[in-house]
Amino acid sequence: MTIVISQITKRFGSFLALDTVDLRVESGELLALLGPSGSGKTTLLRILGGLDRADAGNISFFGEEAQGMAPRDRQVGFVFQHYSLFRHMTVFDNVGFGLKVRPRKERLEQSEIAERVMRLLELVQLAPLAHRYPAQLSGGQRQRVALARALAIEPKVLLLDEPFGALDAKVRKELRRWLRRLHEEMHITSVFVTHDQEEALELADRVVVMNSGRIEQVGTPAEVYEHPASPFVYDFLGNVNRFACTVDKGEIRLDGPGLTLPSSGGDTGRAVAFVRPHDVELTRLEDGAGEQPRARIRHIFAIGPTARVELDLNGHALEAVMDKSRFNGLGLRRGDWCGVRLVSPQLFSDGEVAGSGI
Amino acid sequence: MLAKAISPDNQRVTLRDPAWVRWSVMALALGFLALFVLLPLATVFVEALRRGLGPYFDALAKPDALSAIRLTLLVAGIAVPVNLVFGVVAAWTVTKFEFPGKSLLITLIDLPFSVSPVISGMVYVLLFGLHGWFGPWLRAHDLQIVFAVPGLVLATMFVTFPFVARELIPLMQAQGTDEEEAAASLGAGGWQIFWYVTLPNIRWGLLYGVLLCNARAMGEFGAVSVVSGHVRGLTNTMPLHVEILYNEYNFVAAFAVASLLAMLALVTLAAKSALEWRWGDALSGRGH
Repeated sequence: MTIVISQITKRFGSFLALDTVDLRVESGELLALLGPSGSGKTTLLRILGGLDRADAGNISFFGEEAQGMAPRDRQVGFVFQHYSLFRHMTVFDNVGFGLKVRPRKERLEQSEIAERVMRLLELVQLAPLAHRYPAQLSGGQRQRVALARALAIEPKVLLLDEPFGALDAKVRKELRRWLRRLHEEMHITSVFVTHDQEEALELADRVVVMNSGRIEQVGTPAEVYEHPASPFVYDFLGNVNRFACTVDKGEIRLDGPGLTLPSSGGDTGRAVAFVRPHDVELTRLEDGAGEQPRARIRHIFAIGPTARVELDLNGHALEAVMDKSRFNGLGLRRGDWCGVRLVSPQLFSDGEVAGSGI
Repeated sequence: MLAKAISPDNQRVTLRDPAWVRWSVMALALGFLALFVLLPLATVFVEALRRGLGPYFDALAKPDALSAIRLTLLVAGIAVPVNLVFGVVAAWTVTKFEFPGKSLLITLIDLPFSVSPVISGMVYVLLFGLHGWFGPWLRAHDLQIVFAVPGLVLATMFVTFPFVARELIPLMQAQGTDEEEAAASLGAGGWQIFWYVTLPNIRWGLLYGVLLCNARAMGEFGAVSVVSGHVRGLTNTMPLHVEILYNEYNFVAAFAVASLLAMLALVTLAAKSALEWRWGDALSGRGH
C-alpha cells in the first residue's frame, strides 16, 4: 500500500518544474514536501492528485499505474491552499459534495450521506455551523471544512497543499497539532506541502526537501536537520552562519574572520563551512586569555527561553543562540567583547555549494 | 458608500462648492435627463393613449400588430436561448482553457457590438440572398432564409450574441477555476462540475446577460430591417411594424405598439436593478 513515483518530469513552457523525481510514499505515513517557492513541491502534489499531468515518468498507487487515471479513480482527497470551498453551498453541502456526485450505483442513501457528513463535521468540530456559508467562516474554520470535505470520500491518500499557509500563527499551531492527532487516529497516508521548515519538522514522519525541481534529501526530521545531505538542506533548515574557507592539513581557515578551526575530514581545497547558531559558544574574556578568537556583541534579543546574539567577528556577522539562563550567567552586554568557539562546523566543497543554487 | 462620500456632512472642504453651484449642476443634470429620457418615454404613452384606451387596444388587436408581436416573441424565443448556450460555452472556453488565438476570440465576440447592425443585416443578404453565395443552393433546395423568419433569427442572434458572453467572461475570470478543480478532485464529472459548481456561481450574471440580450433581441431594428423585406403580417417584427405605422401617419397605432416595447424596456431595467441588488450579495459569497 505505497505510492511509487519514478522519473517524473514536468515543464511549464521553458521552466523545468520537476526534474526526474523519484519518491516512495509509505502506507500510513505523514510526509512533508518542503522547499522554497518554485521548488516543484506543489506541482508534485498536483500530479499525485491527478490535477496536473507529468510530461514523463510513472506514478503507481498501490501497485496500479495512475498516470492518466482520473482524480475520481485515484481515491485521493485534496485540500487546497486557499480551500476552494464551493461558495454557494453551505458547509454541510460542501462536505457532502463528493458523496453526492458519485455514480448512481455507488451512491449512498440521502440519510446515510447526511449521517456521514454530520459525523465528519463533529470530527472537525464544526457541527453547529453546518448551515453557514463559507464566507461566514473564519480562515481556520474554512480549512477544517476543506479537510472534512476531502475526508468525506474516504480517500486512501490525503494530499494537502500548504494547509496552514493562509492562517495566523496561533491558529496554525493549533491546527497543526490537531492534524497530527487526526493522522494518528485515522492512519491515512498523507502528503502535505509546506515552505515552513518548522511545520515540516514538527508534523511529518518523513521530510522531503526539494529545490529547483529536484529532491535534495529524504529522511526523518532528525535526519535532515542533524545530517543535512547538501548545503541547500543545511541552509534551508533553520538559520545558519556560513563562511568561505580553505581546508588544508586538518585545518579549516575561515577567509573573512581569519580564524582557524580543527577539521576532522581529510578533504582539502576551497569549501564553505556552515555553523548553526546554537553551535556558536560564547565565553567571557578573562584577562590574559591569549589567542582566543573574539567578537563584539552588536545586538541581544532575549525574549522567551532563548537568547539570540548578533556578533561582529572581525567584520563578519555571526549569530549565536543559547539558553537565556546561560547567557545571563555570562553577564555580557551589548558592545562587550567576548570569546567565540565554533563547534562542529559542517563543510561542503565549493563545487557542491555552487551546484545547490544557494 | 458612494452616498456617504457625497453627502454634504462628509464632504471634504475642498469639495464643498457654493450652494448655487451645487444646485445649478443638479438642475442641469436632472433637466437633461427629463428632456432626453423622460420626455420621449412619456410621449410614447401619451401619444398611444391620446384617443383613450379603446383605440389603444384596438390598435394592438389588429392582425398585423398581433402578428408582429408573435413574430418578435418567436425571434427572441429562439435567439435568446441559443445565445444563452453559445454565450456560456464561449465564456467557459475563454476562461477555463488556455489556447492559441484566445485574445482573437475575445475580440471577435465583441464584433457585433462594434459593427453597425445594418452591415450585419447586409452580410446575411449577401450570403443567403437570391444572388448571394449560398443563394442558388438554397433556392434549389427550396429553402428561404432572407426575407423570412430564419433570416430574422440569424440577424438577431448575430447582433445579440455578445450580451451573455460579455457578462460572463469577467465574472468567470474573477472566480477562476479553483472550485471546478476542487469538484474534480472530489470525483465530479464534467457535467456535474458545470451543473453543481459553475452554473450556481454565475447564475445572477447569466440572468442579467439574458435580460439584456432579450431586450435587444426584441428591440433590434437595423439588422432585422435589412433581412426582413417588410412583408406585413409575415416578416414584420414590432420595431419594423412601428416604423410602417408611423410612416402611414397612423400615430396612435404606432405609439401603441411602441408602448409595448417601452414597457419591455422598463421591466428589463427594473429586473436588472433587482438583479444587481441580489448579485452584489452573490458575489460576496452568500447569495441566497
